[in-house]
Amino acid sequence: MSLLGFERETLLDLTVNVIPMAIIVFFIVGFGVVPAFGVDPVLTTVQYSLLLVPLAALAVLTYYAGKVVERDEGNHQEAADAASE
Amino acid sequence: MAGEQLALTVFMAVLLVAIVAVLTRLEDWRSYTPLAGGGGVGYGDEATHGHEEKPGGLVRWLTTVDHKDIGILYGTFAIISFAVGGIMAFLIRVQLVVPSGAIVENAFYNSIMTSHGITMLFLFGTPIIAAFANYFIPLLIGADDMAFPRINAIAFWLLPPAALLIWAGFFVPTIDPAQTAWTMYTPLSIEQSMFGIDLMLLGLHLSGVSATMGAINFIATIFTERGEDVNWATLDIFSWTMLTQSGLILFAFPLLGSALIMLLLDRNLGTTFFTVGGGGPVLWQHLFWFFGHPEVYILVLPPMGIISYVLPKFSARKLFGFKFVVYSTLAIGVLSFGVWAHHMFTTGIDPRLRASFMAVSLAIAIPSAVKTFNWITTMWNGRLRMTAPMLFCIGFISNFIIGGVTGVFLASIPIDLVLHDTYYVVGHFHYIVMGAIGFAAFAGLYYWFPIFTGRMYQRTLAKWHFWLSMVGTNLTFFAMLVLGYLGMPRRYASYEFDGAIAPLAQVTTWHQIASLGALLLLAGSVILVWNLVQSWLEGPVVETGDPWNLEADNMKGRDFAWFEQKLKRERAITDGGEESSEDDSEPR
Repeated sequence: MSLLGFERETLLDLTVNVIPMAIIVFFIVGFGVVPAFGVDPVLTTVQYSLLLVPLAALAVLTYYAGKVVERDEGNHQEAADAASE
Repeated sequence: MAGEQLALTVFMAVLLVAIVAVLTRLEDWRSYTPLAGGGGVGYGDEATHGHEEKPGGLVRWLTTVDHKDIGILYGTFAIISFAVGGIMAFLIRVQLVVPSGAIVENAFYNSIMTSHGITMLFLFGTPIIAAFANYFIPLLIGADDMAFPRINAIAFWLLPPAALLIWAGFFVPTIDPAQTAWTMYTPLSIEQSMFGIDLMLLGLHLSGVSATMGAINFIATIFTERGEDVNWATLDIFSWTMLTQSGLILFAFPLLGSALIMLLLDRNLGTTFFTVGGGGPVLWQHLFWFFGHPEVYILVLPPMGIISYVLPKFSARKLFGFKFVVYSTLAIGVLSFGVWAHHMFTTGIDPRLRASFMAVSLAIAIPSAVKTFNWITTMWNGRLRMTAPMLFCIGFISNFIIGGVTGVFLASIPIDLVLHDTYYVVGHFHYIVMGAIGFAAFAGLYYWFPIFTGRMYQRTLAKWHFWLSMVGTNLTFFAMLVLGYLGMPRRYASYEFDGAIAPLAQVTTWHQIASLGALLLLAGSVILVWNLVQSWLEGPVVETGDPWNLEADNMKGRDFAWFEQKLKRERAITDGGEESSEDDSEPR
């Protein structure tokens, strides 16, 4: 199975960061469905930005960290294989 | 009269220069013998100018750019700061034994409370982490030294003047110390007239410059100086946490520096950045906590790295879910910049914004919880060896769970509105800063003590230190949680309030329990210092490169592998042999 170009094992590792992202998404949806304190063009924009910016930053960092670690794991494995031959 | 004073000043200056000159020539200076010195690694085994690259005596320590020496300097500085901050903490607890305040005036209480916080966070917490990181990051990643050794030395040497500025109010007779609390909230910090605040702000700024220089150095070192066999997949967990911490410092400390300068301008040049009629006091809180909350993770991530590194060694199992710990460390790094206003729920900020900060604060609990489960699972079915470092690791986990869970409650707006500014908050964060960060520092000190000194500490004393610290921490800070539930406000020098408002008798009892715990912590800390100093001077010399017997469990890391090579080199030279070419390939 491959999603976003990741191996299955890596995807499993990355789920650890999917959970906080899911919590943030839950609140984004919740605040959208029940805007308990009304909607204001400025404040509501800031309210969602405070959720979306960390969400996006975490997604980007997780993606690149996963990519780099997976790449180096491959190199490491190749080097180990070469050494054992 | 003026002539006498001038003569006295000149005489003292000459005397001082003479003393320094004598010290710099003292060849048998009690110091840790340089590499390849040929002798033991304790003091006084031989003159310390045996290394061709390093001078002997005090000059060596003043001029060194060796990452290991700088690590020792950071560690020594941190321990001294810990003693200063600890004595202040003990005085605070003695004061609160009785409702009227037992020993000091309110103003002095405010001063030591302010300085205790600043000292422990900026002069103990950050430097003790830098001590471990400077010593071990190059060894763990296979680098010769830090990327910028001279910047490394400069970063350390900014700290002593920073400490002098921060503490100036206590020892310069004409200057009163700051009474702002460590958060320096405006308008109080603008309106208080004592010069000690200005000096403290300058000292803090200096410590921030030091931390930033160190962070740049760690990032550059981990990115560019790794050995050929160390890549992102094989990088050790401590280096990962230091990399993340350094990233946080890079974004957080410059902002603190800017805010401090603005506060200095408000105080001295009449600007209105944070005045009630100008930018407003809440602006200070936003800027301060945008630095202040990442600062919490700046302080806790590397200790988590130490625990993740040391705990498996004495569990005879590899760290469970290594990559979970790595990715969750990165998650904490990012999310820590999105939670700052959870310190400001009661300031009257818009409820929509407050709700967003609550959401991210709840989300950031997950990565921390993940690590906790990883540590527990690492120990599960492991062959545990209850050495002093392991005891402190387990103590860390236990305290971190209590500190963490109480923090999750505070992240919830309705609960925070009730508990804000009470002792509950003080208890919560002390479980983290003392119960977790302090314990991890102790674990690191004991685990690497053989490498630092070439000697072994006294194990029984170390266990006394652990148990006194564990019981003391939980007595003191659990009592604070209860005090918070009873409504005791934080920062008060006395608490003679009306019994109809809060149960004064119970509050007094819990304060006394907290002070009893502080007494145990003091006793434990005295034992620690005694053990460190005496063992360094007279402890049994470590003969093997694997004093923890990690080889048997296949758990030996690059740190003790390097130590083993070092011992071999020293023995070869002592025996009249030569260093082998194989040994030369090892980092020095």
